Parts: sequence; structure tokens; C-alpha cells
Amino acid sequence: MAKKTFSKILKDFWYGKPHTAEEGGRRLGELHEDKTHLYKHREWRGVPDTMYYFYNIWLYNYIFMVKDIMVMHGPITFAKGLWRYRWIGQTYLPVLHWFDRGLEGMRGEAMKASAWHYRAMVSTTIRQFQHMFAADTRLNGGRQNDLYRHTIAHNETVWGGVFYPWDGEITNVPLEMIPYFVTCHVNSHTVLNYIDAVQSIGLPGDPCPMCQAEAGIFVLDDVPDYAPAVITCNEACDASVSTSTLQDWFFDKPLFSLPMPMLFDDPLVKDYVKREIEELWKFIEQQYGIPFSWEKLTKKLELQNELQRFEWEKWEVDAKTPYYPINGVAQALYRIYQSQYGDWEIWHVTDRKVRKILEKCVSKKIKTFPQTRHRVIAWSCAPLYYSNWCTWAYNCWGLNVVINMDSLMFDMEIRTDSYEHTLEDMAQYHMWAPMRRMAVGGMHHMFELWDYMKRFNCDMVAMYDQLQCKGVQGLHGLFEDEFRKRDIKAFWIPHALPDSRTVSRAEIRRLINDYMSTVMHEEPLDPSLLDFDDSMTW
Amino acid sequence: MNTIFKFIRKLFRIALIANVALFVVFFFDLDGKLLFNVVEPFLKKHYDSMERKDTLKAPYDMDKYPKYDFNS
Repeated sequence: MAKKTFSKILKDFWYGKPHTAEEGGRRLGELHEDKTHLYKHREWRGVPDTMYYFYNIWLYNYIFMVKDIMVMHGPITFAKGLWRYRWIGQTYLPVLHWFDRGLEGMRGEAMKASAWHYRAMVSTTIRQFQHMFAADTRLNGGRQNDLYRHTIAHNETVWGGVFYPWDGEITNVPLEMIPYFVTCHVNSHTVLNYIDAVQSIGLPGDPCPMCQAEAGIFVLDDVPDYAPAVITCNEACDASVSTSTLQDWFFDKPLFSLPMPMLFDDPLVKDYVKREIEELWKFIEQQYGIPFSWEKLTKKLELQNELQRFEWEKWEVDAKTPYYPINGVAQALYRIYQSQYGDWEIWHVTDRKVRKILEKCVSKKIKTFPQTRHRVIAWSCAPLYYSNWCTWAYNCWGLNVVINMDSLMFDMEIRTDSYEHTLEDMAQYHMWAPMRRMAVGGMHHMFELWDYMKRFNCDMVAMYDQLQCKGVQGLHGLFEDEFRKRDIKAFWIPHALPDSRTVSRAEIRRLINDYMSTVMHEEPLDPSLLDFDDSMTW
Repeated sequence: MNTIFKFIRKLFRIALIANVALFVVFFFDLDGKLLFNVVEPFLKKHYDSMERKDTLKAPYDMDKYPKYDFNS
């Protein structure tokens, strides 16, 4: 008996405790302090995986975050920005805990490949905020330096690819991607300041909180002044139009509005968008005095197509095998970041690393998520403050989110064989913007869900319900009807995008727990994760 | 030779202590506890007390820039 116990202790020490309660379970819920959800101690994943996490994820990323800051405009620039802007100081310091939340419970190749995706997002984020600070007139004594004169600001919903013709000469930096979007994932408290700020000037609380927050950053005067001109986009949403109006007021710069038409999949509308993109290019030439370059555009598009082709390879493995090594949250965030921001060197570096892991998993037939009970597709837009819910859902219930709507939106290559083809495809890409094609893009695209369910071999749907998006709210009942008609297992995740006060993380977990126990009649894999208080967590 | 050996031994000892210390920080989440309990509250206090421009007082200059000529 003692020998058996000793051998189990030794096995648990070397390989980590097993996942399920029946096998003696690792009980991940007990690793955390109440409310703050800080670790009492980090997870022991067995010797090889703990050492990998310690050296190649935790230490490596701290070191490379410092290195990125040193290489990209230096620590003084960073310190000045940190002292001036809340969204950087309050958010980016606990970034390794964002890794922890997304990678909790992961083992082996799944942990490694997912972590590389996080690393790429961190590096791209540092690149953007360091550029903002280095060009910022507020941090440089009111001076418009050379970097300022060669930077263009734009809404995060404007695809970075429209600026490819000026690659190396003008740097495009989205206005909200770092101060708003990424902050919500890393530290969900930061954004609440901005939502409250915009409501404090009398705006109602019921429009999309994303638009509220994006305007609130301006109300609190928390936007760097880093570019002479700005491009806005309506995101085919009336709240977004209002954000642009407020931004125009507060930013007070030459502004070009790149429209996203309410209609699409229509040749006439596509012609209109093509003309608008050409107008945008003319506007940039006029403002910056630098001519459009067809060579630069096609070169960058080819590089972006390379990324897309690898994405398709990954999807093939994901759809047809259990060897896909990227977890739901890493897949979703990396893909939306990469496809919206546009081509950048770090994506290629990451893809090369991930390709090696992917090929290893396939050739050695490594089941990366061995406790999968259901293959889940997540549809519509996710709660930004709880994008890692799928990590929890896998650990607790064996729900493996294999694909999601955000990843599938830009399911296309862009032709570079002629100007006409390129422009046509770019217009298409622009119209398939985040939360556009399949969230407010009409029934045809929303109901692509059924095709993708088949393609990715899914047996369950996690249906997001953004409570303050008037576009998607109207289709709630239609989905309910279709789920019943098609006999599809589906659960709803209500949320208010960045605002964690409307539907808490605990409430989301409770809804999934209820569905899994009362409808599916299943037992949790790890009962310690059923109910815990993380109300104060980042 | 002896000096080199001593130097390598010293280096090894420093590396070992640094590794152990960092692992303790990592394993007991001391970085998280420091950031959550000390750094973030300090920074929040700083940001809350910052003087900020009242952006609502900015004029909405409709005609500040020349009229844009839309060619298409």
C-alpha cells in the first residue's frame, strides 16, 4: 500500500496530477485565493511542464518584454507613457497573469503552442504603445517629431492592410486596439473608468459598451497625440458612428471616414467600397506627401496571404484530428489580432514555431486535449473580460472550443495579379470586419454557423449574447428556433463585451454549469472549478 | 587554473541561487501579489489624482480644415 502511494506521489510529481476527479484530480480551483483569484501557488504541472512554464513562458516573456521595450524606443519612453496613461500602467504590468488565466491546466504541446500565440500578441502590443509614446507630442514637450509626421492613427476596426502601400514610410497605429481592446483581456478593471467617463457627460448607458469605452478614453483625455491625421470607420453600427463623431471633436485633426456599408454581398456596394478605399489612399497621399506604392502593397499582401494559408493548414488539423495544439482563447485572440492588425514579422516567426509543434503533434499522434467530451464552436462576439472562459470550460467540463466566429471572419486570400482584383478583394476584406460579417452581417452570414459546425466536426455551440448589441439581439429568437429545429446542443453566454459588471464571470460559469448538469446530465471533470469567487480579479 | 575553477564555481553558485529565488517568486506568485497589492493601487492613486484637460471645452471646429474634394 505504502509502495503504491509512494509510486503515485512520484508519478504526480513527475507528470503532474491527473485531470479528472476519478483519477485523484488536480483540483485547480483550490490553487487560488478567494476574490482576488491570485495564486496561493502556481500550478504544479509535473517536472517537464512546470520547468517549461517557468523558463520558457514566465521568465522568457518577462525578459523579452523588457527586451522589446529596450529595442523599441527604450525604457525612458516607456516610463513616460506609464506615468501619463492609465491604460498602460494599470494594464500591462500583470500581463503574465493573463498568460496564467489562458493557459491554466494546459499540458505539453497545447501549453507550448498556445503560449507562443500570447508572446506574439504581447510583442505586437509593445510595438504599438512604444510607437505611440515615442511619437506623442504630450510626452515630447509638444514637439511634432519625425515619427509623429510618419504615423497615421485609425480606428481599430480599420484593417491595417489598407496602409500597406506606405510600408516602411508611414506606420499605422490603431487608436483603440491597445488603450481599449487589449486592456479588457489583461485587466478588466481599466476599461470601467472609460465607460463611466462617457456616461458622466450624459450619454446613455445602453449603447454598445465598446463604443462607450472608446469615446470615454477621449473624455478622460487619455489618448496620446501621436499622428497628424486619423481614419475612422463606422463598423456598420450606429454607436460606432457616434464614437467617431466624438473622436473627431476631441482629436481635432484632418479625418477621413472609411465607411462600412450596411449592405454587402452586393456588386454595386462593393464598387462603392472600392472607390472609398481609393479615396482613402488619395487622402493619405495628400496629407503625408508620399505616393502610393503598388509594389509595397502587393509584397505585403503576399506576406499576409502566407499567414492565411498557414491558418487554413491549422484549421485542417483542427477540423479533422484531435492533434490541434492551440487552445480556444489563444486561437481566437491571436487570429483576430493578426488578421485585423495586418502583416507583421512576429506573426511569421510565431507561425514557424507553431508549425513545428503542429507537425510534431500530427506525426506522433499526440492528443492535445485528451479530456475533450464535446467539440464546441463559439459563435458571435466574446466577452472581452472573460475570453479565457473556454480554458475554464475545458478544465471543468471537457468542453473544447475548437473554433470561433472571430477566427473565421477573414476566410480569404487577396489576389495580387492585377490592380482590379486586388482592390476588389481588399474591399471584400474590409466589409468582413470584426463583429461585422457574422454578427451584424445579416442572416446568411450569421447562419454560416451550421456549415462551420459540420466543417469543424463540432457537436455543441457556445452562443455569445452581447446584451448591448442591438444588431445581434434581434436574432436571439431565430437562433433558438434553429437550434431546436436542427436538434443542436447549445448554451448561451450573455455578456456586455468589456463591462464585467453587467454579467459577471461567476454568472457565466453558473449558466454553463446549469446547462451541463441539468440538460446534459454530466458530471464535472474537476468539481473544484464549479463555484469560486473571482470577483476582484484582473 | 585554480582561479578559473573557483570563478566557475562562484558563477554556478550565483546562477543556482538566482534560479531558486526566481522559481520561488514564480511558484508562489509573488509577482502577482506585488502587482495586485502594491503596484496597481499606487498607480491607480496616481492616475485618479492627475489633473486632466476638460475635453468638453474643446471647440467643435466644423470648418477648420479645407473642404474635402471627393473625386469618384
